Amino acid sequence: MDNFELICPAGTPAALRAAVDAGADAVYLGFRDETNARNFPGLNFTRQDVADSVDYAHARRVEVYVAINTYPQAGNLGPWQKAVDDAARLKVDAVIMADPGLLAYAAKRHPDLRLHLSVQASAANVEAIRLYRDAFGVRRVVLPRVLTVPEIAKLNAEIDIETEVFVFGGLCPMAEGRCSLSSYATGLSPNKQGVCSPASHVRYEQRGGALASTLGGFTINVFGEGEQAGYPTLCKGRFVAGDGPAYLFEEPTSLNAMDLLPELKAAGVRALKIEGRQRGKAYIAAVVRAYREALETFAAGRPVPHIDLQAMVEGGTQTTGAYTRAWR
Amino acid sequence: MRDPDVAPNAVADERARRFETGLSRAGLGLVPKLGRRAGDALLARLLRLLADRHPRAFAALREMADARVLIEPVDAPVALLMRVGPQLSLHAVPRGAGGVGDAGAADAVVRGPYARLLDLLEGRIDGDALFFRRELAISGDTALILALRNTLDGEEEMDLVADAASIAGPLARVLPVLRRNAGPVLDRIEAARRLLPPPLRRGIERVEARIAGTLPDTLPDKRA
Ligand code: SF4
Repeated sequence: MDNFELICPAGTPAALRAAVDAGADAVYLGFRDETNARNFPGLNFTRQDVADSVDYAHARRVEVYVAINTYPQAGNLGPWQKAVDDAARLKVDAVIMADPGLLAYAAKRHPDLRLHLSVQASAANVEAIRLYRDAFGVRRVVLPRVLTVPEIAKLNAEIDIETEVFVFGGLCPMAEGRCSLSSYATGLSPNKQGVCSPASHVRYEQRGGALASTLGGFTINVFGEGEQAGYPTLCKGRFVAGDGPAYLFEEPTSLNAMDLLPELKAAGVRALKIEGRQRGKAYIAAVVRAYREALETFAAGRPVPHIDLQAMVEGGTQTTGAYTRAWR
Repeated sequence: MRDPDVAPNAVADERARRFETGLSRAGLGLVPKLGRRAGDALLARLLRLLADRHPRAFAALREMADARVLIEPVDAPVALLMRVGPQLSLHAVPRGAGGVGDAGAADAVVRGPYARLLDLLEGRIDGDALFFRRELAISGDTALILALRNTLDGEEEMDLVADAASIAGPLARVLPVLRRNAGPVLDRIEAARRLLPPPLRRGIERVEARIAGTLPDTLPDKRA
């Protein structure tokens, strides 16, 4: 039985080395601009960083994927097309993209470049996935985090390209690429500028013993004394409606699907993805190591150990997300 | 409580780390006592040394827009004001001197136990997790703090304690030996202390407390 591929995040070259050393099969990263969906201050790779990182990873038989997964601005395709050209020139193993125009550009200009469909494209049904395969030669699709395991199994039975699913990290619970919450509050969105709930609009305020998090002047949450804090991602806000404050869209929990390895294998999933290019190298090393251990144990036919990653996650609680529940 | 599964080596490492942390905190406490000019000169030297050892991170720090971040250990008498941007510099300021918004003060503040801040600056620990657990507090310009964190975290293994020691003269020669022998040395210090008559022992503890800047080594661990 082929083991899953473990796809790990890196926001800096040091994080990439941490992921490689901890047992990643592939590391995904982005350039230092708005062409990728984690365009955060101080994060990401210069062209030279990518060249060095590809050398480091390939010497250890680990692949490197570049995410170019935001939607180009009308009339300004330059940075996105250049990102694709540079990724090909730097000999990365795949590019992860969402925009059909950009996919077409890459397929035509760089026929040997392996194309993966980003979660940002939100391709969650057979017809959509076949269209991307037939039109652009997409070889793998990263599934949006809205499908249950039986739905993934059904999908895999009907398509002939690889699927990759998120197994760990922060959750973006909407059909991705289509959420406008962040645009509404800040004018900046993950789909165009590569930032959801950008730090430039975030403030933390002490209110008595409580800690308030605000985004663009809106209070997103108020944490009581001793309560776990969280980043003010809009969909994870606690808003007052009706009877009092409640998490209206999604609780600030993190995905951890380690217990679902047998089900995901049976569903035909090829690769498992860890979220968190914005997190530090200590997080990346710890999570990748834990998943590597779990995958080795699973491949050897032994029961998957329960590895505690509680200390790493936002909200301090973990969920198996949509994989095991019907969407609200 | 110590985890019985933790290898003796890990325990020794942890003790050595605590010792180093205390030592470096004491060192930081001494900086203002040198007087402003000498203190700033010492920190400028430290910064130059770090820039030599970590050129990538320091180039990135200089490329940032001009801004000031106050790094404030809650258990040390002194905070560090770091100016990022083309005029990169580091100053020791008395703790509680300037909050966000005061004239000429910081654009952002990171506050937490000294040991945690040191771990964070050296990239040994995940800053987000610390923040989620409320062991770190941040205020002011969140993007600035994030940029600083990402830049420092992108650096391979910083060893601030060793780097700081290497500008402090004799300590530079002692530190490697101390690290290798931290366990036995600490045991010997402890044993010697137990043999001292009580008044002397208390006297030593007072001196240590004064050097280290009054408070206990770390704040109580909230998860315990
Ligand atoms: S607000 Fe939430 S659902 Fe919308 S893009 Fe951001 S993380 Fe995703």
